[in-house]
Amino acid sequence: MMLEVNDVVTAYGKIEALKGVSLSVDPGRITCLLGPNGAGKTTLMYTIAGILRPRRGSVRFDGAELVGETADRVVSRGIALVPENRLVFPHMSVAENLAAGAYLRRDRAAIASDIEALLARFPVLKERRAQQAGTLSGGEQQMLAVARALMSRPRLLMMDEPSMGLAPLIVEQIFAIVEELNRDGITIFMVEQNAHMALKVAHKFFLMEQGKVTFAGAPGDVAEDDVIQRAYLGSAKAR
Amino acid sequence: MGFVDYVQAIIDGLLFGTTYSLIGIGFTLVFGVMQKINMSYAAGSLAGAYCGLVGPQLMGLPPWSVFPLSIAASGVIGYLIYLTCFRFIPLASPLATLMSTVGMLLLLDEIIVHSTAGMPQNYPAIYDGDPIEIGDFMLRADLVGVFLVCVVAMAVLLALLYRTRLGMATRAVAQQPVAAQLCGMRLQAVNGLTFVIAGLLGGVAGAMIGASVGMLSPLIAGPITVKGLIVTVIGGLGSIPGAIVAGLMVGAAENLFQALRNVTERDIYVMLLLFVFLVVRPGGLFSGRGHD
Repeated sequence: MMLEVNDVVTAYGKIEALKGVSLSVDPGRITCLLGPNGAGKTTLMYTIAGILRPRRGSVRFDGAELVGETADRVVSRGIALVPENRLVFPHMSVAENLAAGAYLRRDRAAIASDIEALLARFPVLKERRAQQAGTLSGGEQQMLAVARALMSRPRLLMMDEPSMGLAPLIVEQIFAIVEELNRDGITIFMVEQNAHMALKVAHKFFLMEQGKVTFAGAPGDVAEDDVIQRAYLGSAKAR
Repeated sequence: MGFVDYVQAIIDGLLFGTTYSLIGIGFTLVFGVMQKINMSYAAGSLAGAYCGLVGPQLMGLPPWSVFPLSIAASGVIGYLIYLTCFRFIPLASPLATLMSTVGMLLLLDEIIVHSTAGMPQNYPAIYDGDPIEIGDFMLRADLVGVFLVCVVAMAVLLALLYRTRLGMATRAVAQQPVAAQLCGMRLQAVNGLTFVIAGLLGGVAGAMIGASVGMLSPLIAGPITVKGLIVTVIGGLGSIPGAIVAGLMVGAAENLFQALRNVTERDIYVMLLLFVFLVVRPGGLFSGRGHD
């Protein structure tokens, strides 16, 4: 187990968004977290990343406890989150956004070469390297958010709804990138509402509903599980 | 009063206006990273300038020592304001920091009044040379000094913001605090440092105001707080270029109104200027957040 989430409860005031979530992410694989709006998926991502503090439970990364650590400590341990809605720095250039992603690194030369390598990997960004990130299209911003997260050289890349609001062609590109990164050895933990696409790339998945994990399995099992079929596959929301 | 006098008034106003620009930038910096107004900012800057006087008056240091001491003291006060009025205050409540900083404004004012028995204190000029004459116009040498110091302070700030790692963190937190944390930036450290930077700038402004007026008085705190806020609003909350331009504008306008009417009516027209901006261009000259 690379990441082990155990009985995590995170609350906003009196409302518990996570009511005892347990799941695990295997090293070198793609793990997807599915579930409807309001299930608590983003809350879980922010809890793991150290932005939100859980009321109880534990999050272990390579055996070390992350609960109680600040977000910068989580990043330095090797976890990067591509947040929901991308959250690029709108008034910074593409290149500056990437440099910001390497904030905790001190190896200037390696940072510069990583920026070039990522710009080569994402040609749309290379064309716009001096452009303000706020002027990019949604798909370009998503690529930038992924590239920015990679700048910290994470071992575990978490992605929160990378396909949200993007055209089908761009969504395909994003998933192709996810698979490529995984082949390069980065472990992926991804939240997705697009169950169709997610189950194509995932090795393992969890289903979350109303703050709890209600199903866990591998994509092959899905056809049998009519809960998922009814709720996600082929529904209007899944597209 | 002829045309030449009015132009002269505008020139003097522009030179002195750079101090307003600095105060405006200080308000805007803190607003940029925290989306909060620090009402005690101008009072803290003035308090810093008062602390600078300790050097020559009580420690026997040379008169020029007052400037670096004022700036450093104001930076420290900036951090103390962060600790007392922001760090442990619930930021979700829009009124909480407003109340805490207004309280700090009054406290600083009281401390100044009590420690000086309310008497104005002489403050050295930055440079006392002969005025520079250009045709019909005259540049007051001390005001030129004030202008240059303020411009250098702005240049240092911009270099800090756009050329250093710390500056990047400040801009990142201002533009997208959650993403900044995900990049490994520590919100509270960046916030605290922003207060120190704003404080240092305020120290420069406080010292230069003292240097051009020739003295410090507790009576200055109120007007510079108000002028600073006017500059921030006219420039557009969160915009540094806006604060610079608006500071010059308010400085020039105030001096022109003073020449056209007189000193007692001057601030009425500055307020009218603010009113016009709020009606015609409520977002300020450079509207939009996060430009820093």
